[in-house]
Amino acid sequence: MADQATFADDAMEFAPQLYTAAMRMTRNPADAEDLVQETFLKAYRAYAGFEAGTNLKAWLYRILTNTYINKYRKDSRRPKEVDLGEVEDLYLYRRIGSEESAEVSRTTEDRVLDGLVESDIKRAVESLPENFRLPVLLADLEGLSYQEIADILEIPIGTVMSRLHRGRKAMQKALWEFASNRGLVPEGAERP
Amino acid sequence: MKQDDCADVGGSNCDEALERLYEYLDSELDQATTEGIRAHLDDCGYCSGSFDFEKRLKVVVRERLSEEVPQQFIVRLRNALDQETSQI
Repeated sequence: MADQATFADDAMEFAPQLYTAAMRMTRNPADAEDLVQETFLKAYRAYAGFEAGTNLKAWLYRILTNTYINKYRKDSRRPKEVDLGEVEDLYLYRRIGSEESAEVSRTTEDRVLDGLVESDIKRAVESLPENFRLPVLLADLEGLSYQEIADILEIPIGTVMSRLHRGRKAMQKALWEFASNRGLVPEGAERP
Repeated sequence: MKQDDCADVGGSNCDEALERLYEYLDSELDQATTEGIRAHLDDCGYCSGSFDFEKRLKVVVRERLSEEVPQQFIVRLRNALDQETSQI
């Protein structure tokens, strides 16, 4: 059992990370702040039931995600599970990789990776339907394991893997659009 | 051409590696499978190029998604917790 008196000291270090995740979930600062505050208050009240020494970060993410799902989804009814169209593997890489030498390709890769700005990446993530966005956030932003994500979202691990896979590919498709619009890729770089 | 680097392009080793790309990058594979893929990447220029790109992209995504948490909010959060504590 964890000691409620130490909650603030134990949990505050995760506040910045939780805030970032909350921003990507709610898409606006006011809701993100409310979501994180509600998460912390709930976690504080439940802290006596948390087993000290186990994974506090994953536990906090579980509360954050559940709070988000229960509270913010109600505002716009529960969104139905959206599917993504098929996107090929290595979507971005295959388009950047030119027919030229590996050296030239590497330069294009650098230009794309350096040139995609924060707002591109954020928009690409935020454009994902929720059932794909949450696994991508928990894995790519937080580095949680597939098992932790499965526990948090209460879905089978195989579903986590397929949503991550497809969500990441869909993100690459969006990033390719941004990179093209910014002129980061050479003319005619697109390959079938 | 990048693909010329790999004698096995489109072969089963490349397909198998690609299938496990994300599990590999997410450190979700057992040691034997990880080593098998690593050995393939050593031999295959195309796969090592694509794996390397995906790995770099993953870092870029993580770095550029982060948000500066407003200091005022941290203060508000601490106050909310203090208030909660004092109610007991």
